[in-house]
Amino acid sequence: MLQTKWKWIKRDWVLYVMLIPALIYFITFHIVPLIGMKLAFQDYRILGDHQWVGLKHFEVLFSSPAFFTVLKNTIIISAMKMIFFFPVPILLSILINEVRHGKFRNSVQSIIYLPHFLLWVVIAGIWISLLNPEDGGVNLIRNFFQLPSLDYMTSKDHIRWVLVFSEIWRSAGWDSIIYLAAIMKISPALYEAARIDGASNLQQLRYITIPELSGTIITVFILNLGFFMNAGFDQVFNLMNNSVISVIDILDTYVYRIGLVNGQYSYATAASLFKGVIGTVLILGTHFISKRLTGRGVW
Amino acid sequence: MKKLTPFTVTVYTLLLLLSISVLIPILNLLAMSFSDPLKVQALGGLDILPKGFSLINYQVLFSNPLIVRSIFNTVFLTVAGTALNLFLTAMAAYVLSRTHFVGKRAVLILLIIIMVFEPGLIPEYLLVKDLGLLNTYMSLIFYKAINVYYLFILIRFFQDVPDSILEAARIDGAGHFRIFTKIMLPLSKPGLATLGLFYAVYHWNEYFRATIYITDPNKWPLQVVLRQFVVQKDNASLLGAQNVLSYDKIASLDFASLQAGMIIVSMLPILILYPLILKFYAKGAFEGGVKD
Repeated sequence: MLQTKWKWIKRDWVLYVMLIPALIYFITFHIVPLIGMKLAFQDYRILGDHQWVGLKHFEVLFSSPAFFTVLKNTIIISAMKMIFFFPVPILLSILINEVRHGKFRNSVQSIIYLPHFLLWVVIAGIWISLLNPEDGGVNLIRNFFQLPSLDYMTSKDHIRWVLVFSEIWRSAGWDSIIYLAAIMKISPALYEAARIDGASNLQQLRYITIPELSGTIITVFILNLGFFMNAGFDQVFNLMNNSVISVIDILDTYVYRIGLVNGQYSYATAASLFKGVIGTVLILGTHFISKRLTGRGVW
Repeated sequence: MKKLTPFTVTVYTLLLLLSISVLIPILNLLAMSFSDPLKVQALGGLDILPKGFSLINYQVLFSNPLIVRSIFNTVFLTVAGTALNLFLTAMAAYVLSRTHFVGKRAVLILLIIIMVFEPGLIPEYLLVKDLGLLNTYMSLIFYKAINVYYLFILIRFFQDVPDSILEAARIDGAGHFRIFTKIMLPLSKPGLATLGLFYAVYHWNEYFRATIYITDPNKWPLQVVLRQFVVQKDNASLLGAQNVLSYDKIASLDFASLQAGMIIVSMLPILILYPLILKFYAKGAFEGGVKD
């Protein structure tokens, strides 16, 4: 056994040479930064050795009101997206599936997939202009219904909804693909039989499409749960301004600010380590729950 | 043709409204960027046709040295980055797609660990700093040299190439590197093209690492300049670099429409490549969805 292995290694030595660049890359840019997380337990110094300080930074973290605001924001924003964004792609896929007219269906799909490929910087630009209090589209519609204009971007009461709706605008179309694929898998015979029995469109939806989709819905839901702590860095980073920072600052933007902008490297690493641990627990937890419930996991 | 029931009417109306809500804001920006600066005030947030017609916004944008430079920078980063991505990913995928490769399991476990744990911002930043890559393009190009997820896709692609072809080449005396470059790569052109597109979109859209790692404005990619101008509303630096227009022409400019023009410029390649992107990405995503 060992000898055949050795034979393969000798014969394929070129393969090892070919793998070297990739290995150097993975070790340098992925494994070394993992080791660098030890900084959370040290005091960062520009010169000389970093001193080990144990859990000091975590103690500061957990006794800091700012950290708890940020943690609260992260949870609220993630939860809002779970509740209000999550069902939209499902509904959308059901709507699209009802369209039999090929050209209309293709155009709708190409249009609603488009924002997925735009950068959040661009989308922020589009939305800031759309929500402009003077002549932004949304406020023109409000004015049409005799409602006063609203400055959504600086309103603490509304900015989280801006996050939810801009997320829907960007991702609902694209995310509907996975449900559409699942709908296509449903056997046409089921619909055929239902139609012969006189089932209406809505009844077919209720008794065939939705039950058949439930497996995919559960899988996607569990996967999303695993990424709960990522409330959307790019989005928040680009839609944030000083008037609303207190309600949409999330863990990732907080780490960016205290770490890179204010230079508190160790403290910021402690915060992202905390996030990483929670995230890993959520991913592993949901993986095993999902294996139990649906027989398939994240991997 | 289907009958028009209340149900189908509702479905079509809802989808039409949704498509409009996606298109209007984009078309509005396009209209704004082509409007005459003096008439643009009359253009509402829901209009999709320009008021008057003028190319002044694009003239200003394309005569700004910072923006022109940043476009070249982005093109360079996209081309160089994608080339390196494809070469490294393909080479690793070739090795990992060989059935008898001893050590495959260990490498795959390493890749899974990399996919699950993320070290976070600060250790990444300090690494780039310690390597002396701050303010160089190498920080952007090397940092994401191989995307693990894409690597897995390519491995599966390479496994589909029939072993008999490779075995025949081997008997003719070709080594692994020759088989890789002369047989595997040409046979996998569709897969490589798809991945190249994925990587190119990624590089075109990169702004965050560039914001952190590149401090010299002359090296900024387009998206960083865009962010500076559109999100942070730094109009002064944009006009400060202006030198082709007379004073009253500058005075007559409309910032909102300039910003609109800038947004359009930065999304242009995506819009041009969109049919291709749709074909590859959407098909991939669709099949990915079916597969599980």
